[in-house]
Amino acid sequence: MELLQYSLRKLLGGIPLVIGVTLVSFALMVYFGPDQTYLLLGKNPTPEQILEVRQQLGYDQPFITRYLGFLREIVTLDFGAASTGEPVMDLLAKTMPVSLILILPGFILGHVVGLMMALAAAYWRGRWLDKLIMAIAVVGMSISFLIVIIGFQILLSSSDGLDLFPVRGWNASTFADYLTYVTVPTLATMFVAVGYETRFYRSILVEEMSRDHVRTARAFGLPESRIFVRNILKNCLIPIITRIMFSIPQVAIGGALLIESYFGIPGVGKATYEAIVTGDQPVLKAVVSLTAILFVLVVILTDILYRAVDPRVTLK
Amino acid sequence: MAGCQPPAEAGRGRSDLKVYRHSLDQGPTTLDPVQGANVYANFVIVNAYDTLYSYKYLARPYELKPNLAAGFPEISPDGLVYRFRLKPGVRFVDDPCFPGGRGREVVAEDLIYSIKRHFDPRNQPQGAWLWQGRIAGLEEWKAAGSDYDQPVSGLEALDDHTLEVRLLQPYPQLVATFAQGFSALVPREAVEKYGKGLGVRPVGSGPFRLISYDTARVVMERNPHYRQEPVDLAAEGYDPATQAFSGVEAIQGRSPPFVDRLEFNFINEPSASWSSFTKGDEIQLTVLPVEQVDRVLASKHPVTLRPEYASKYHLYAGLEAGFIFTAFNMDFPEFGYNEDPERERRNKALRCAIIKGYDWQGRNDSWYNGLGEIFPGIIVPASPEFDPTLSRASITRDVAGARRLLAENGWTAENLPELVYGTTTGTTERLFFEQFRAWMHAIGYPREKVVQKTYATFGDISRAWKRNQLPLVAKGWGLDYPDAENTLQLFYGPNGSPGSNDANWENAEFDRLYREAAVMLPSEERTRLYREMNRLVVDDCVAITGLSRTRIYLWHKDVIAIPDREILGGFWLKYVDLVPDAAAPAPATGT
Repeated sequence: MELLQYSLRKLLGGIPLVIGVTLVSFALMVYFGPDQTYLLLGKNPTPEQILEVRQQLGYDQPFITRYLGFLREIVTLDFGAASTGEPVMDLLAKTMPVSLILILPGFILGHVVGLMMALAAAYWRGRWLDKLIMAIAVVGMSISFLIVIIGFQILLSSSDGLDLFPVRGWNASTFADYLTYVTVPTLATMFVAVGYETRFYRSILVEEMSRDHVRTARAFGLPESRIFVRNILKNCLIPIITRIMFSIPQVAIGGALLIESYFGIPGVGKATYEAIVTGDQPVLKAVVSLTAILFVLVVILTDILYRAVDPRVTLK
Repeated sequence: MAGCQPPAEAGRGRSDLKVYRHSLDQGPTTLDPVQGANVYANFVIVNAYDTLYSYKYLARPYELKPNLAAGFPEISPDGLVYRFRLKPGVRFVDDPCFPGGRGREVVAEDLIYSIKRHFDPRNQPQGAWLWQGRIAGLEEWKAAGSDYDQPVSGLEALDDHTLEVRLLQPYPQLVATFAQGFSALVPREAVEKYGKGLGVRPVGSGPFRLISYDTARVVMERNPHYRQEPVDLAAEGYDPATQAFSGVEAIQGRSPPFVDRLEFNFINEPSASWSSFTKGDEIQLTVLPVEQVDRVLASKHPVTLRPEYASKYHLYAGLEAGFIFTAFNMDFPEFGYNEDPERERRNKALRCAIIKGYDWQGRNDSWYNGLGEIFPGIIVPASPEFDPTLSRASITRDVAGARRLLAENGWTAENLPELVYGTTTGTTERLFFEQFRAWMHAIGYPREKVVQKTYATFGDISRAWKRNQLPLVAKGWGLDYPDAENTLQLFYGPNGSPGSNDANWENAEFDRLYREAAVMLPSEERTRLYREMNRLVVDDCVAITGLSRTRIYLWHKDVIAIPDREILGGFWLKYVDLVPDAAAPAPATGT
């Protein structure tokens, strides 16, 4: 009951957040975003035709009227049609699952591998293994993601390299096909993610390992494995949960533009990017509002998880 | 996981299918002919839909040929009435929008309906400029509310297969406009059923039908009901001396389309395109990326491949049917028209000096591997009316001459006006600007007076052009039809901003000649008038022009084709075939 009340309270509290985010985003779209009028005109337009296009796009309406229309779209989850003519929700329903299963393996592996490397580095802090792992992490963080993608593509997929995987494309009709197409994008994502995750996790683990209660546990002669699980990892769960949970909206809606572009994968990242550069407001409005709503949900879920891993946390 | 699967993947592993995988550097924004303004959309549209006319597969310069039309139109002696006859028995593809799901016959009313759509503002149409002020009654129909049940006085279906078009004045380019994707015949039933959704679900009568469309690719399959029309290579303009290498003789006497599946892969990244192409079992055609030119080509003049590539790939170096140029906006008193006649005279000298300082060869070498064709004026080499005799002084860099011209007309570093160079944001655009600034500095322009103004997107810079906000308009233009009128109209006075005359140049003699030539059928006299107009543009130093880029196409030797992307884009894809040994190319993994 407490959980339900808390969730409802948080959901209501999230409404101003959604309104704030959508208002600012919409103002940016309207006043600073691309003007689609001039992409939709014929080659020799007249002033009357320019006005007609602006009317069709709703650009001639007062800002407040347009924003209220936007709020109505959020409530009904009907954002109209993208510039291709496809209903926006159909577009997202088609592209979001692709991005999700594209990014998820790299996301999970990046965190798992990063955490394991961080553990090793933190445990042997200051030793050669720590230095080696940190050096690898810095390399992963320093190389441009673009270079990593091209490098992996040439190395693993092209005829100049090992030629083991397709260069481009997407096919997830069977698990084997899925593995074939997702492996190289996943390795590229991991290569970069591991660097950031390792550094982050190492810093919190080192901090936790230096605490008095860990030293005391060691003084009592508790086994290292028990100290690690009960005294270190458990206390680190709050920042770990925070980091993972707040990455979820990006994974679910943001997609991965570079990965999708270079590997020819029809995900939501590329659709969003194209909407940004062409000023396709129906798509942008949907992405912005869904991201805001997802953040509210993530905040609620994160708080619940905090409570689950640390009973001292109260849901108020 | 199956839910994350594009429908095109159904039957993907079938090795009995002939699959041709094309690549383009961008994807279309919509597949609705009413908004099919760019070459990427047209690649799909002209394969999904029928147009009355098309272009001969192999003839260069481009020549029109009947497509859905039974022949060329009967034209009244005064050039005001065109009568088109449609081939009987042509059907739209089967689709749920039709009763019983069976595609009905394509009739003349479909063309009338499709043209009307361009005069209905609700469609955000982009093709009205082809027919506004040309076909009688269209503007009135639009002013009356764009009611599709109301007739247009200038468009009449005499019967199911005969269309009569009545013009307000002779319009020699009318037949060519009926080859464009804008004129594709769309069934009213599909528009009424799918509305805006027609942009992702074409319902046409073309050689292919759509299976799937997303940001990465379009997949089409052979239209099983496409009409049987055996290929006559001679009629298509086949030249054995230059085209036999491609193996196109294999399609003689056979009815297209020849491949079961046609894929368009949209690859904006040259490295990914090259890796996919050279892999062998992914895309089968690519434009040679600039970064690979030195590695792949044995020579540039003529363009030939190194042996290791020549053994695997065919090559075709095609000059674009268009050009890049930079126009001065004459509405800016600093460079163009001025209330003070003396200043206006000096402004012309300033423009001429800038033109002299512009290094076309440098641009060609830096950005186009020296393969582009530099030419004076605005009639491009791909136009039949191109003037090879025009003086090349306007495209020959003359720094000393430019400096002299500035000095003789009182221009000094102190009084030269600021030169604002508008671009979209990006590294390449920045480099374009820096190169331009260096050339201008060489003729005496202070660096700080040549400034870049950036715009986030093409839409934003287009707005600046149309709103008359930039003194220099640097852009590219692709021919809509192979007729110099298409580029000359860029400098016709009444087309000033927001129209296509971004230079806002008004020259009474040019405009008079334009109006005179506009109603003439192709002839030596019309060509003479075109060339005279061309000279006026050059003489008035109104534009820095121009260069037609050369695109080098490479394709696998298992593909029988002569590729192209000009004018319409994709009109030749129904003729693509695969050599018999390679007729089962479906790989274990594909794009």
